[in-house]
Amino acid sequence: MSVEKKELIVVGAGPAGLSAAIEAAKAGVKATVFDENAAPGGQLFKQIHKFFGSKEHKAKVRGFRIGQELLQEARDAGVEVILNATVLGLYPEKEVLVQQGDEVKHYKGDAVLVATGAAENMVNFRGWTLPGVIGAGAAQTMMNLHHIKPGNRILMLGTGNVGLVVSFQLMQAGCEVVALADAAPRIGGYGVHAAKVARTGVPFYLSHTIKEVEGTDCVTGVTIQQVDSHFNFIPGTEKHFDVDTVCVAVGLSPMAQLLKMDGIEMDTSTGGFVPKCDETGATSIPGIYAAGDVAGIEEASSAMIEGRMSGAAIAEYLGYTDASTKDAREKELDESLESLRQGMFAPKNRGKKIEKTDEGIDVSENLLTHGFVADDEITRFPGFRKQVKVHPVIECTQNIPCNPCQDACKKGCISIGDNITSLPISVEGSECINCGMCVASCSGQAIFLVAEDTEPGYGEITIPYEFLPLPQKGDKGYGLSRSGEKICDAEITNVRSSKAFDGTNLVTMKVPMEYIDRARFYKAQ
Amino acid sequence: MKTTADVIIIGGGIVGCASAYYLKKKGVKDIIVLEGSDSIGHGGSSRNGGGVRQSGRDPRELGLAMTAVQKFWPTLSEELGRDVEYTQKGNLRLGKTEAHIKKLTALKESCEAGGLKLDMISGDEVRKIAPCMSEDVIGASFCPTDGHANPLVATLAYYMKDLELGVRFFTGAFVDHLEKVHDKVRKVCLKDGTIFEAGDIILAAGYDSRRIMNSVGLDVPMTPLVDCALITEMEPEMFPQMLGTAAADFYGHQTRHGSFVFGAESGLEEYMEVKDPNDQRQQHAATLGASCRAIESWIPALAKAKIVRSWSGILDCTKDGVCVLGRPEEAEGLILACGFNGHGFGTAPAVGYIMAQTVVGEEPITDIKPLRYERFNEI
Amino acid sequence: MLDIEEKLKEIGPYVPEDDDDLLVCRCEEVTKGEIRKALHEGITTIEELRRLLRCGMGLCQGQTCGTLTRRLVAKELGVRPNDVTMATARTPMRPVDMGIGGNDRGKEADAEIGGLR
Repeated sequence: MSVEKKELIVVGAGPAGLSAAIEAAKAGVKATVFDENAAPGGQLFKQIHKFFGSKEHKAKVRGFRIGQELLQEARDAGVEVILNATVLGLYPEKEVLVQQGDEVKHYKGDAVLVATGAAENMVNFRGWTLPGVIGAGAAQTMMNLHHIKPGNRILMLGTGNVGLVVSFQLMQAGCEVVALADAAPRIGGYGVHAAKVARTGVPFYLSHTIKEVEGTDCVTGVTIQQVDSHFNFIPGTEKHFDVDTVCVAVGLSPMAQLLKMDGIEMDTSTGGFVPKCDETGATSIPGIYAAGDVAGIEEASSAMIEGRMSGAAIAEYLGYTDASTKDAREKELDESLESLRQGMFAPKNRGKKIEKTDEGIDVSENLLTHGFVADDEITRFPGFRKQVKVHPVIECTQNIPCNPCQDACKKGCISIGDNITSLPISVEGSECINCGMCVASCSGQAIFLVAEDTEPGYGEITIPYEFLPLPQKGDKGYGLSRSGEKICDAEITNVRSSKAFDGTNLVTMKVPMEYIDRARFYKAQ
Repeated sequence: MKTTADVIIIGGGIVGCASAYYLKKKGVKDIIVLEGSDSIGHGGSSRNGGGVRQSGRDPRELGLAMTAVQKFWPTLSEELGRDVEYTQKGNLRLGKTEAHIKKLTALKESCEAGGLKLDMISGDEVRKIAPCMSEDVIGASFCPTDGHANPLVATLAYYMKDLELGVRFFTGAFVDHLEKVHDKVRKVCLKDGTIFEAGDIILAAGYDSRRIMNSVGLDVPMTPLVDCALITEMEPEMFPQMLGTAAADFYGHQTRHGSFVFGAESGLEEYMEVKDPNDQRQQHAATLGASCRAIESWIPALAKAKIVRSWSGILDCTKDGVCVLGRPEEAEGLILACGFNGHGFGTAPAVGYIMAQTVVGEEPITDIKPLRYERFNEI
Repeated sequence: MLDIEEKLKEIGPYVPEDDDDLLVCRCEEVTKGEIRKALHEGITTIEELRRLLRCGMGLCQGQTCGTLTRRLVAKELGVRPNDVTMATARTPMRPVDMGIGGNDRGKEADAEIGGLR
């Protein structure tokens, strides 16, 4: 038996693992990353949507592009990435057993970072083992990595960000999403993610869960049913859908097996779900670190910063930097991480019902229960403004850590201020030049350009559009409301695509003036 | 909470659970079992290879093994109301070299002196019984009355039956020390401060028994050894026998479920430092590879079998390789059942029965004098 | 310290539910009813459940059913899910062929078979 010595062993080439390796390598550490997959990047390459955050968090950049940047950065920093390498075990003296092809290799590291991420949770309803019941993450892998359509008619269970984002992606892939259901009484993910699904006409069923998935060899249908506040089914509330696929997005569980098997202290307050570790990911065994979802489920953006923090700590642990350098770096990263952990969806607010925004505005109840802001609710938010001349209407009504729209507008039409969770304001009296950068920059697809009275009785609305086929100028169809209801005739007057828009097309439709504040999507005839 | 009982058993493993069961059957009313961990059968009871074997036993404990096989195992499932998967299809101890055969022959003779019937068979006869065995096997000892059972279920089956019969169990009841009252061991003091009291205290806590008995001035020369095992996914039925080898490089069987359970090691495990005998997680990085090679060399057909899990346990290895049973003269009120050296599962029903007999003052069903505590004073 | 007798009194007898035939562990085909019943017969930990019923002991080692089982245990025993300890993890993290597992001595490994000794 031979044992190959490495300086830093990172398990998992996802956002956390790669970021840690890069950070450590930049300080001089020789970092080796193992990943069981054929390609690095973890979940990043499945993320075709634009990320939230601010510039430093790579906001408005699509996940897979962040993955590409991260890989390039890793290459530049001299990080060794070994793929198709499954780490089977973590042993005393920081030894790892790695399956590579038909052999198993032994490696030892002076430091080991475990960044194995998380796995999808399941719920068991009648029929849950039928082919066609899949995890939302699995659906994403099929679509975005392997270009396979997971199904034709799909019901999504779960309205957290994963459920919302994947529903949208399923529609982008050409699947029909018949409904989203969630046992919780309120939508769990960002309202803007829900709204972009709702406006295509997909209904949300909150306080509903799956009663039964039907089929003998594969899924042929699903019945959902309303539940009371104790999650007991309410008789007579069944709703049936003909579907061939049911996607389940009910949360993630850390894959902390490696840490557990090495005898690392786990956090007993979670029943041993996640390891006990400090803010740098240092576990109970000196030299062994954990970063990313394995240390507690968060977003990829947070995982990247956590990885950097671990990398900085490891560089110091291995003697490449001194404590003051490390502390300074940690402080900088911590601030960045903290800014992501603010707002209504901050970890500290999990499970809490929030009634008012930071600005003191009543939150949209309709958004939480139906996935869209009601027509009479939208007017109370600072992103909404009436003006004849073209101007942005920003339907972003929750305090989330995101501010690219403010940077996107060079004319000062959008203001968020220094606090990135503040609601964007459509600035009164500003001069919109109809450039569309704000529309394309909004990861939540919540910005519209509205111009009133462009011709007698008509106005124009520019909407973000990420579906195929792309409407063409002159096409006639319908304007859809925020709930996806056909409310008026609409004619396409302009279609803009540009590299600067990064895949988001700007479609301008002409609608009768009485629908100017209500039509938010277009459907071809 | 009532903290007194007629008998307190320290250790919720198979020996403790079986003892409680037979005590109940003997009419003892008030029995408490204290398990230090959160789970019944947390130690060796759930970590062993499931052998119910008489062959290869030291003559001093052969009686226990034969009694267990003759009087307890065949009816155990029925008695406990739960299938413990007892399979009596024999034990094959395999050999590849003449030296192996010599060793096996010597073992056979020693067992036969104790009254156990064993056959020496050829390599071809081995492959007639179990066709998957390697062509390298040139012979084996075969004990047709040996077999295997499911240790995980057997332990819990005793436990669940005990509960039905009214035995009181406490888990997470970590014993700190024992105390004497009027020159009799009587108090069991837990780490959390709770004190239990009983007229008889059975100590069946694996290697941790040593620390506990030390508190009343007793000691058994034993060491904690890390031992490892693994399990595969389920496979089609291949052979029903319990397997061992003359080289002692692996042992195991195919379970009723179809998975293979094998114990094997690299040889480095015994040098692993056991910082806490109650932390049974330690594994050596060399174990998996060495185990796979050993198993494959005897059963090549298993090369594609997928290993889903491996684990380790702590053996309580005594100086002379056999367990310690009975009442030590120096400590009235205490009864020992420990030091099983990694082969206590198969004998556990008999040991449990003898524990019950010891409490009620019956002559043991088989002679346990050679296993008495005082034997270490004679060295 | 857990007084099993008290706990069993507290949670009462096993009462069948309509969906007791639902699978919880699909690798080993263990149902909700089997798990619930065991919990009313003295099983109090996931570790014991795995040993008695094999749930979570199959190919995925409980990656899928671990949280389902935990929720079920918590509900039946009347505790919070976070108070239910998850199972220990073990090598291998992913199932590995015996033949591959044994091939861990590198290219220079000698032909001798049968472990280090």
